[in-house]
Amino acid sequence: MKIQGIDDLKRIREDGRKKLLPPEGKIVVGMATCGLATGSGDVFSALCEEREKQGLKMIVGKTGCLGFCQVEPTVEVRTSQGERNIYQAMTPEKVASLVAELTSGNMPSKGLLGRITEDGQTEIGFYSKQNRLVSANCGLIDPEGIEEYIATGGYAALYSVISGMTPEQVIEEIRVSGLRGRGGGGFPTGRKWETTRQAPGEPRYVICNADEGDPGAYMDRSLLEGNPHSVLEGMIIGAYAIGSSEGYVYVRNEYPLAVKNVNIAVEQARGYGLLGRDIMGSGFDFDVKVVRGGGAFVCGEETALIASIEGKIGEPRPKYIFPAEKGLWDRPTNLNNVETWANVPLIIEKGADWYTKIGTKNSKGTKIFSLVGKINNTGLIEVPMGITLREIIFDIGGGIPNKRKFKAVQTGGPSGGCITEKHLDLPVDFDELTKVGSMMGSGGMIVMDDRTCMVDMARYFMGFLKEESCGKCVPCREGVVRIYEILSDICAGKGKPADIELLGELSAVIKKAALCGLGNTAPNPILSTIRYFQDEYEAHIKDKKCPAGVCKELTTFTINAEACTGCMLCAKHCPTEAIAGEKKKPHIIDQVKCIKCGVCFDSCKFNAVEIR
Amino acid sequence: MSNEKQKTGSVLVVGGGIGGMQAASDLSEAGFRVYLVEEGPAIGGRMSQLDKTFPTNDCAMCIMGPRLVEVGNSLNIKLLTNSEITRVEGYPGNFKVEVLRHPRYVNEERCTGCGTCTEACLTRNRPYFEAVEPPVRLDPKDEERVTGIINTYQAKKEYLLAILQDVQAEYNYLPEDVLRYIANRLNLPVSSAYSLATYYTAFSLTPKGRHIINICLGTACHVRGVDRIVERLERDLSISCGETTQDLAFTLEGVRCLGCCSLSPVMTINGKTYGNLTQDGASKIIERIWKEDQ
Ligand SMILES: Cc1cc2nc3c(=O)[nH]c(=O)nc-3n(C[C@H](O)[C@H](O)[C@H](O)COP(=O)(O)O)c2cc1C
Ligand code: FES
Repeated sequence: MKIQGIDDLKRIREDGRKKLLPPEGKIVVGMATCGLATGSGDVFSALCEEREKQGLKMIVGKTGCLGFCQVEPTVEVRTSQGERNIYQAMTPEKVASLVAELTSGNMPSKGLLGRITEDGQTEIGFYSKQNRLVSANCGLIDPEGIEEYIATGGYAALYSVISGMTPEQVIEEIRVSGLRGRGGGGFPTGRKWETTRQAPGEPRYVICNADEGDPGAYMDRSLLEGNPHSVLEGMIIGAYAIGSSEGYVYVRNEYPLAVKNVNIAVEQARGYGLLGRDIMGSGFDFDVKVVRGGGAFVCGEETALIASIEGKIGEPRPKYIFPAEKGLWDRPTNLNNVETWANVPLIIEKGADWYTKIGTKNSKGTKIFSLVGKINNTGLIEVPMGITLREIIFDIGGGIPNKRKFKAVQTGGPSGGCITEKHLDLPVDFDELTKVGSMMGSGGMIVMDDRTCMVDMARYFMGFLKEESCGKCVPCREGVVRIYEILSDICAGKGKPADIELLGELSAVIKKAALCGLGNTAPNPILSTIRYFQDEYEAHIKDKKCPAGVCKELTTFTINAEACTGCMLCAKHCPTEAIAGEKKKPHIIDQVKCIKCGVCFDSCKFNAVEIR
Repeated sequence: MSNEKQKTGSVLVVGGGIGGMQAASDLSEAGFRVYLVEEGPAIGGRMSQLDKTFPTNDCAMCIMGPRLVEVGNSLNIKLLTNSEITRVEGYPGNFKVEVLRHPRYVNEERCTGCGTCTEACLTRNRPYFEAVEPPVRLDPKDEERVTGIINTYQAKKEYLLAILQDVQAEYNYLPEDVLRYIANRLNLPVSSAYSLATYYTAFSLTPKGRHIINICLGTACHVRGVDRIVERLERDLSISCGETTQDLAFTLEGVRCLGCCSLSPVMTINGKTYGNLTQDGASKIIERIWKEDQ
């Protein structure tokens, strides 16, 4: 069936509502990659089995990721009124009792994480300070069913655009909303669309950048897996505004489920006539192709991504001329990030005025962050711009595990920097983060405690960039390697006092001279760690010590004879049999055999293993 | 003082790179007769392969161009390309050098350097080194598999990347003859297929193991100590990251973020994700798979 007008859309909305909120109630399992990794696939089949066996009426279904990955696998029991009961850390074993209680008509209380009421109120601390707009439907709807998306108001924005707005009005709306690109640069989206629309040349292309290369960020994966239609709808609206009839979604090959769900979504949208010729009977044509990436970080850069779609090797080119003028196949091309596209239907639906009320002066709306690393509640969070880091890390994230001390948070991926305790009250938005020497990036927030070595972190990022540099320009190809070598020397205890200065000098040159954004921002991780943690560099260089106990050459593991109870656990775990000792007597580590893997430290229950 | 008298007054510069060219033109300007010996067919050396130079990002060709012209035009410089030094004797100021000039197969007197012959050349840009390209034949079964993949993409050039991805998934690597066959079918030089195959990490030119372990080296996993786990697996499997075990059971590869950072450290084995790894845990998973395999 092709959707021709509002009546068709309404009819499907009714259908979808029955699927989303069936009168029998519904049990949904979070089946995004993160859920599957913790075993939600088994939970799902156990649920289906028990339901048959016990004769439960409730429907069992799938959904995407709720964002609270720490407590996965999650199972949600949804009443027919729409109250959502979230159960955490489910296992196939726990399923039987859950189903049994439900069959007898009770709402089980065991394992309950919390409730989300029909109107979205919840007492779950993790969600309390969040404002889930873009990701609202992730973990609610079945990503493989377009009807459920339509039931939540999906494709209504597209209808209102196509039926009653000129392309100029759409662009104006986006411009007024102040939406800025979520892919890292923060470029105003409305302006980009306008440039592409006005650029001469036919056809024009729109591209969705889902090559989420930033290690430690995964919101694009989650959106594509959990709610691919919102991205498609955004793209269709964008294509209408720009005057394009062909679009591409460039997805990382490492995200098989995202590729699958996007492909399903494209098929379904075609089936309903939301993609293809004559969309909703308006005479506007637009279709989307899904392209898989080849696994290269630099392919997230727009010109490299375009080269990659053209089937070439993904090397960036200098941007004397922007892709908006000459992009894919030398035609005007508009490229936006997944999250940017997903914001578009929201803005159209609720209006730019509503949107501008959220966020700070120059950064509007919300941003999804992936809160990972040394933090209690890991997961994806969506917060309004301008929230402070302290709220994110301590209120939403629940602080640092094992009562360790917060040290820094890294944002912006390999192009970003570290933010220290001093700046915890910083309101998070595009400009404030840049001011303290980091950047928004695509939204990875990696929290570090005092067991993280900052020199090692800088070295890690340089190692990453060294591998991922495409090799086209010399400053990046050679310079980053040199920096990596210097940092490796420092980590190995061979640092020289002049190294810090040398690093600064090299950084300055690479920053100025590199061809693309990868090189221009490559020195950021070093510059920011030197800025805030110079003492740590000096400890490595002068005292030959790694205060965090990470750099192998600079640490030794020893056992504190007073604290050791002789439980033999460390000896059992030691892969090289370097630990000797009898039961109930203090153990000793043979420093010759020790490979400094740290297993003893991690396994000791009495804090008897010390790092020096 | 007798040596002084016997100085020959000419200089031989070995190597026609940027340094050699500069030396030759400086010497010729100072009035010496210069012989510039270069092993390769043309002067220019490494710099002629570069786009920009470190650290100033100056255009390599712009630095080199004037030197090339100077050396070529200077009446004082005798260029000996395609040449090799076989013997040197004498003492400072008076050397005797024997130079072996390799044949060029081109009449240098008549060649205008128009370049048409390089375009027509059959063996140019070839990643594998044999003389003439034989038409690639696959055995019928392979041909069917590969043709199937090519046809899903209507044998279009711009889908080369996608075709290679599917072949990689089908064979676990890109066999050389398949790569050639695809290039033939799409009417592309093998070099362009080869350049993609070596650029993207998704491709491998050697067979991979039956179980491909992708361990995440992303930031979140790094912070939570994945390095030690990698070291443990390397020890367990006796290979380094990026290699395949001899029995082709396991390939251990690092990837940069699997998008499950909340469960870090993370690895996938043949697409199945394992999160919250510990050294022992990861090692046990591998052991279990290995046992199941036996
Ligand atoms: C080295 C490098 C890597 C990048 N990686 C990504 C990426 O993984 N995802 C992304 O959306 N943008 C990435 N970008 C930014 C894109 O070039 C581009 O600015 C962005 O996709 C534009 O979309 P937006 O305006 O919606 O932010 C990267 C940029 C550079 C320089
Ligand atoms: S950093 Fe390892 S999965 Fe993202």
